[in-house]
Amino acid sequence: MASLSEEVLLVVKRVRQRKQDGTLYLMAERIAWGPEGKDRFSVSHLYADIRCQKISPDGKAKIQLQLVLHSGESTTFHFANESTALKDRDAIKELLQQLLPKFKKKANKELEEKNRMLQEDPVLFQLYKDLVVSQVISAEEFWANRMSLNSVEHSLANNKQQEVGISAAFLADIRPQTDGCNGLRYNLTSDIIESIFRTYPTVKQKYAENVPHNMTEKEFWTRFFQSHYFHRDRINTGQQDIFSECAKQDEKGQKSMVNQGVKNPMVDLLSLEDKTLDEGYGTAKVPTTSNPSNKSLRENSNSAIIKRFNHHSAMVLAAGLRRADAPSDQTSETSSTDGNSRDSDFFQPPLKKVKLQEAIEYDDLQGETVRKTIALNLKKSDRYSHGPTPLQSQHYTTSQDIMNSISIIQQEMRTYKPRLTQVMSSSAASSAITALSPGGVLMQGGGQQIINQLVPTDVQGELKHLYTAAGELLRHFWSCFPVSTPFLEEKVVKMKSNLERFQLTKLRPFQEKIQRQYLSTNLTGHLEEMLQAAYNKFQAWQTRRMMRKT
Amino acid sequence: MKLNIDGLLVYFPYDYIYPEQYSYMLELKRTLDAKGHGVLEMPSGTGKTISLLSLIVAYQKAYPLEVTKLVYCSRTVPEIEKVVEELRKLMDYYTKQTGAKNDFLALALSSRKNLCIHPEVSSLRFGKEVDGKCHSLTASYIRAQHHSNPSQPVCQFYEEFDSVGRQVPISPGIYNLDDLKDLGRRKGWCPYFLARYAILHANIVVYSYHYLLDPKIADVVSKELAKKSVVVFDEAHNIDNVCIDSMSVNITRRTLDRCQTNVETLQNTISKIKETDAAKLREEYRRLVEGLKEANVARETDIYLSNPVLPDEILQEAVPGSIRTAEHFVGFMKRFLEYLKARLRIHHVVQESAPQFLKDIFEKVCIDRKPLRFCAERLRSLLRTLEIADIADFSAITLISHFATLVSTYSKGFTIIIEPFEDKTPTIANPVLHFSCMDPSIAIKPVFGRFQSVIITSGTLSPLDIYPRILDFRPVTVASFTMTLARTCLCPLIVGRGNDQVAMTSKFETREDFAVIRNYGNLLLEMSAVVPDGIVAFFTSYIYMENIVASWYEQGILENIQRNKLIFIETQDAAETSMALEKYQEACENGRGAILLSVARGKVSEGIDFVHHFGRAVIMFGVPYVYTQSRILKARLEYLREQFQIRENDFLTFDAMRHAAQCVGRVIRGKTDYGLMIFADKVSKLFGKKHANFSLSFNCYFSPQRYARADKRGKLPRWIQEHLTDGSLNLTIDETVQLSKHFLRQMAQPFRQEDQLGLSLLTLEQLQSEDMLQKIAQIAHQA
Repeated sequence: MASLSEEVLLVVKRVRQRKQDGTLYLMAERIAWGPEGKDRFSVSHLYADIRCQKISPDGKAKIQLQLVLHSGESTTFHFANESTALKDRDAIKELLQQLLPKFKKKANKELEEKNRMLQEDPVLFQLYKDLVVSQVISAEEFWANRMSLNSVEHSLANNKQQEVGISAAFLADIRPQTDGCNGLRYNLTSDIIESIFRTYPTVKQKYAENVPHNMTEKEFWTRFFQSHYFHRDRINTGQQDIFSECAKQDEKGQKSMVNQGVKNPMVDLLSLEDKTLDEGYGTAKVPTTSNPSNKSLRENSNSAIIKRFNHHSAMVLAAGLRRADAPSDQTSETSSTDGNSRDSDFFQPPLKKVKLQEAIEYDDLQGETVRKTIALNLKKSDRYSHGPTPLQSQHYTTSQDIMNSISIIQQEMRTYKPRLTQVMSSSAASSAITALSPGGVLMQGGGQQIINQLVPTDVQGELKHLYTAAGELLRHFWSCFPVSTPFLEEKVVKMKSNLERFQLTKLRPFQEKIQRQYLSTNLTGHLEEMLQAAYNKFQAWQTRRMMRKT
Repeated sequence: MKLNIDGLLVYFPYDYIYPEQYSYMLELKRTLDAKGHGVLEMPSGTGKTISLLSLIVAYQKAYPLEVTKLVYCSRTVPEIEKVVEELRKLMDYYTKQTGAKNDFLALALSSRKNLCIHPEVSSLRFGKEVDGKCHSLTASYIRAQHHSNPSQPVCQFYEEFDSVGRQVPISPGIYNLDDLKDLGRRKGWCPYFLARYAILHANIVVYSYHYLLDPKIADVVSKELAKKSVVVFDEAHNIDNVCIDSMSVNITRRTLDRCQTNVETLQNTISKIKETDAAKLREEYRRLVEGLKEANVARETDIYLSNPVLPDEILQEAVPGSIRTAEHFVGFMKRFLEYLKARLRIHHVVQESAPQFLKDIFEKVCIDRKPLRFCAERLRSLLRTLEIADIADFSAITLISHFATLVSTYSKGFTIIIEPFEDKTPTIANPVLHFSCMDPSIAIKPVFGRFQSVIITSGTLSPLDIYPRILDFRPVTVASFTMTLARTCLCPLIVGRGNDQVAMTSKFETREDFAVIRNYGNLLLEMSAVVPDGIVAFFTSYIYMENIVASWYEQGILENIQRNKLIFIETQDAAETSMALEKYQEACENGRGAILLSVARGKVSEGIDFVHHFGRAVIMFGVPYVYTQSRILKARLEYLREQFQIRENDFLTFDAMRHAAQCVGRVIRGKTDYGLMIFADKVSKLFGKKHANFSLSFNCYFSPQRYARADKRGKLPRWIQEHLTDGSLNLTIDETVQLSKHFLRQMAQPFRQEDQLGLSLLTLEQLQSEDMLQKIAQIAHQA
């Protein structure tokens, strides 16, 4: 061991590790521990590998020090020298505290992350070996793309966190306290304010308009507490109050909501009755009493309370849904702008039908429970039935065409009559059959299973690696298009050379190897095609650039 | 599955069947066999509708000459559509099983508002507007004018239907309202008139009560339905009120004012037409002299509302001479109007019978009984002669003429009450003349007389004997079926006291009591913390609910409830309430949970179901007695006592109980559903003490031990009573919460089909076994 030549900074005896006594050495670049009476270290960590040190809390019987490594492992040392244990441990701790930061700079978090990714993902690791280790592309290039992908995923995952809803009683949670001199104190927290703003956008708007230009925040909230939001039985009186306008707006909003009517026909009370009696018939009270003028003030305030509770509950409910819906709404909006949104109506059974079916269903009378299916909500049914089509080709067949052709074929088949006088001779037929049977002339070169059997597994594995590597490189290459910035220009040129280098250093040797093994099938044909396509693209781009320059 | 119901092959579109459905069909078959009427009670959510349809359709197929038509009457539009969908399911099953093509024609009929496809007309919001506008485009004289003057707008859908629609009967199939509209759009025919025409040869017609019970409408729509029809009134617990409503008239000062305008318009039109086309009036006169009222068979589009009296009461004589000419008739109406105005100018309440009224009118303004009887008929003829387009404008004078005809036709069963002001506001003059029908049997009598079988069915008809009495008919079968349950999925609890032992009651004297209101509030608060998803609470009246909500707000109870659930409250505005209902369902749907405060006898309690998580608990605050101070009700009670020997308190309790049962029954649909039913009232104290006439103790209806023999007197339906034990009576709030928690925890356990099978759910094999049939018969006989 070369440890002898190292400079030893501190030696502590009688340190236990894994129930074994030994000696702890702190050296210039590493910390090491050797069992008693042995001449070598069974534990040895470079300072660069250590993430942090932990110590046992004071007052505990065992005095310990734990080293946590970047790899996640940890080593615990137990200071067993009873009289000086604490002092020993502290000495080690002090020294490590000074030493570790010096080595820290290299062991940053990113490296750790990369390391972890490579370890977790064998495919990535292979790719790394193929591309970076063999110097096709630089490590930075390799990671540049990866890390950004990763971080995007990360932020997405964060966004998906559920929104916390609003308590319906958020106003009740503001407990007013008397301050002793004929006043009330309300305690507002930021949570409550947020709830108020989310539930009542009009209040938020007012806040934005008035605070702090026209009034202080305190004044604003004071008025709020005097308003109908807080005192639902108050019928707005003061015209100058900023919230009376809110009340009007709320009322208007509620009215418009009511006027829109309900979507679910089963709860629509207006269309419940089929043939209401004409006015004047029946024994029910004549509805002249609902005249607001002869209603007492109390009745008015009572109905105001009821209205406001309904409104409040509706707003709380809407606030809870608003956030959740926002992103999905956006996507639906963007996709419906292409004018094809009618399709979705066509595929979704109308709400009324669904509700009716729900209402007449007896799930326990039904035999095997019919699995409920969710209607496929297609924005573009054509796209679904054809799969992604190349953008250039305009003449794809619509589903209508396909249906037509199917029906035409069906019709033809129905009227099909074999013309027995014009059939081919039996010898010709049998030769055709042999040609079409497996092993026949026309059946050569087809079938994946043959390749599977022909090619040895190691070659297959190698081919797979080549595919992933080529795929990665090509991804880099294609991601440069459209080339809009000088940076991308530079990158595309570099990627082109990377591809060429890949072909030279990786693909060629593989091809030669195949040839040496006399494998007739052209395994790398597709790979070369892909590369060629990239070269062509590059060529086209370059000529266009030249032309623009000249 | 294919069932053998007493020798009849019945296709039942499910793989399993509830035992009570089997008993129900058996009983129904007997009724049809006897060609008589029946009263059948079966809890909501046990598949009443499909049982009815399966059996009657099978009967129709087996004996096509015995039963030619099924007329299925339901209450609301969603109910009608549900029935048609169930029928569709049944017919699909028939096709699948027999392979034969469906040769049944079944359709729903609804008002123009729900069927119109005319782009302009259908955009109108109110049914009355739609009817009026439709009339102004389709009336026969409008169409005649269109011939000479093509710029006169007509409805192209009706024209198209009129020219070709009648020749080809619509192909067999099931037509719901939307299907009819689709068909109408495809062919360019008016769906409403198509449906009205098609019901004459349809095998099954589904429509609302009014088309059969309201003589004004029945005469137009259902006049020609075959005698050999089976008529079913589903959800019939309220049928007596529908009957009464269809024969009652209220006249306010506003009605009279509008009538005045109508009379003036008529006068002007008459004088105008005299100058231009006097021949028309002469022709009408000649027709009336000859008594050929309907000589030129009135076109279907002309009649807006027919005669308000029943067909057998309409006089088959010529219109009397005094009102034969148009001017004389208008003068006559003027006189009548003046008389009514004078009658409304009073300062005290007057109550009199129809003969008294007729005597008075003869003495005061010399109006005879006979011309009064022809008022409705005469007005109709005049409006047609004058070619009035917008007939909806003349609703006021139509109403007055109907009143005239009714009051002079019926001497019994009606009362006239003139109130100068409302009880609550004695200072504000608001005179109303109530001409109120007290005898529901009057309106329904022709139905019983005309059709061979009438089935009255609902989830809540108890006590069963009261319906035959008040509707005055003799049923051949009367049966009540209970819900067989593998687990007790309904939990009725009667809360009598708060935790402070103060009795809870909505009794009039104490219901404004602070402690009562607080206890009600605490009950709701505690329940809101225990019950998942939706809670529905019913109050006895709207005003009472308003007051309670206000005081709960002051006491901070509502704020506390809001911590647990969102609160939605029914209002008097139907649109607003619909909104609240939808939001309520949304809140239940997304897991927040909500409370709906609603009113018994309100629209919500009558028409909306709170199935599964939309209603895990329903709380009745108080017993929903009808407002007993109303004079109309008092008159009716008196009439019931004199005519049918039904005691007042019996009827009141019956009425309250059926509404309470309706309210709580809204939460249970099917055996997989479950719900708490909480009656919050110290009921036994409600009766007896101060209200001398409420002498019956509520407990006697509830306590099964003491009154097991007197079960018939139980006013709550049997399927609720069965689950009421002594342990669930007169509880405190704490006890209620404990019991509820226990119940909900039990119900939350998985409930599989195997648990039910053989007990409350049967396969075909099980149904065929002798044991099971005996068991079913035994259960049914307990009724």
